[in-house]
Amino acid sequence: MSRAKEQMFFTAFIGLVIFAALFVATDWPVRASIIILLLGSIGVVLALIQLRLDFKAARAEGAKILRPTFEVQAIEHQGRWGSLEIWAWLWGLFFAIHLIGFLVALPLFVFLYVKLYGGNWLTAVLLTAVTWGFLYGVYDNLLSVPWPKPWIGFLS
Amino acid sequence: MFEAALEGLVGVLQPEAFMFMCLGVGIGSLVGFLPGIGGPSTLALMLPFVMTMKDPLLVIALLVGLDAVGNTASAFTSILISVPGSTGSQATILDGHPMAKNGEGARALSASFVASLLGGIFGALVLFASLPVLRPLVLSFSSPEFFILTLWGVSMVGILSGNAPIKGLLGGILGVLISTVGLDAKSGIERFSFNVAYFWEGIDLVLVALGIFAIPEVIDLAGRKGAIAKAEEFGRGYVQGIKDVFIHWWLLIRTSIIGVWVGFLPGLGSSVADWFAYAHAVQTEKNRENFGKGDVRGVIASEGSNNAKEGGDYIPTLAFGIPGGTSSALVLTAFIAVGIKPGPDMLTSQLNLTFAVIWTLVIANIIATAICMIFAKPIAKICFMPFYAIVPPVVAFVFIGAFAANFHTYDLTALMIFSSLGFFMRRYGWPRAPLVLGMVLGDKMELYLWLSYTRYGLEWLARPMVIVLILLLIASIVYPILTARKRNVETSLSEA
Repeated sequence: MSRAKEQMFFTAFIGLVIFAALFVATDWPVRASIIILLLGSIGVVLALIQLRLDFKAARAEGAKILRPTFEVQAIEHQGRWGSLEIWAWLWGLFFAIHLIGFLVALPLFVFLYVKLYGGNWLTAVLLTAVTWGFLYGVYDNLLSVPWPKPWIGFLS
Repeated sequence: MFEAALEGLVGVLQPEAFMFMCLGVGIGSLVGFLPGIGGPSTLALMLPFVMTMKDPLLVIALLVGLDAVGNTASAFTSILISVPGSTGSQATILDGHPMAKNGEGARALSASFVASLLGGIFGALVLFASLPVLRPLVLSFSSPEFFILTLWGVSMVGILSGNAPIKGLLGGILGVLISTVGLDAKSGIERFSFNVAYFWEGIDLVLVALGIFAIPEVIDLAGRKGAIAKAEEFGRGYVQGIKDVFIHWWLLIRTSIIGVWVGFLPGLGSSVADWFAYAHAVQTEKNRENFGKGDVRGVIASEGSNNAKEGGDYIPTLAFGIPGGTSSALVLTAFIAVGIKPGPDMLTSQLNLTFAVIWTLVIANIIATAICMIFAKPIAKICFMPFYAIVPPVVAFVFIGAFAANFHTYDLTALMIFSSLGFFMRRYGWPRAPLVLGMVLGDKMELYLWLSYTRYGLEWLARPMVIVLILLLIASIVYPILTARKRNVETSLSEA
């Protein structure tokens, strides 16, 4: 799917979210819905206008329209997997936290990431130790954070 | 006023506050010279910690100190490796990096540090000078005027902060809608909570800020692997660079004024200030042929403006409670959490805290410049840390910071959802600042609208100041859209 089409789907998604919010809010009393009704209706109209612009851009694909931008452009990731690689790490960490808990998952993530991308042993061990020390020292001991119980219980 | 100024100074110079300011300056400088980790991401990471603090002075010292200096140290990477350490130092590359290539890296660095220092102090002085003017203005406003102002703030950020005004406005509206999630205190209605208790308290701004800003930047940083540039030599001309700033003092003052003005307008961040200032220097200075080839005036213009911007940024933030940009929106959130009430109180009962902000801006800039000047050579080496040494600790801190929002595993799910939203927004050119600002201002906007409606019915729309503000609001929305449209038509015609 081309970038222009992807963009169109994203705009449609945002428009639908705003429309759904507006629809749900119509059941509430005015005091709870006043701002949603006011801005939501403007939002739906704007989403339709943006969708039309995206549609025109998708049809005129290849003709690049240059506009000034003040937002730093996202990097186009190289390689076969693009940004999926880092997303896999993030979701992996997310599930690892649920599975084995914060106190094991975070230092493990730091160590594996550094080692798998070519870091030396010293960097990997040092960064892992700093992360572990921060977790135990500040959060576990000092702040007594109530860590969630991991699915694999004996690691808690 | 004098007593409040003195009280503010004494407050920030107390050992504990001063220590927190140094910590903020240290963190701000560190993220400044690590490309890929921006000021908003760091402020988002700090929020869970500072919200547990009790003393507002410590929060001011830490966050304003951090926010004030991010653009000072970012000149290292802009000049030495042609990668901006922050969005505010992009224009510095144009002349700074050629200077480094010509063996004048030290001259470019010292000129940028001194320009940053003087620009930062200039911004703080303008903030100070604006107080007597703002006080009667703010005190004459009531809920209808504040409602239009909040609406104006979100619209301006939406329109000016990105490449497509409609996307910006939609982002702002989405932010306001997200801020309505949870139990409505006025009516007791559960809004968008889907019978899940987690949503009753609403969605924490920390989670949104971390997801929208920190994770997409981490993703970019991870994508940079293998693209770490070779460093240029440190070079010569360290003392000459300091002299250059004083030789071109009039340029520095002009570009600092541009920086303050850009900061004052909601929606225009430091990434705009440095480009405007650079363009101004190129247009107005004599002997322009060296710009882009290593002219020190390009560095002075860019660096002077991006630090001056911070002072301008705090004018609407403190006086009206309307942040000028993403960083000040996050600082504002922390302020509110620890009991600082932006708005009229900042110019009356909490004037000492306003002065604490001004003093922090001044002192933080002095400390940051001193650090950069003294430790320039060793700091220059840290700029070249590989991505694998930065990405995992940042990700770890993001996850801890997100969990610390409510100590609930749903926080992590919310983080991943907002990270995906931030990633796609960035991918498809949606400005992210309006969403955060919409969230910050959403509560206030709703409250002011409701108060206006219950107090005055629809008559509030006929108040003279409201009419003036509505006209300004319409003009600020319509004018950029028409200009962008005209430009697109011209582009299409010239292409045809």
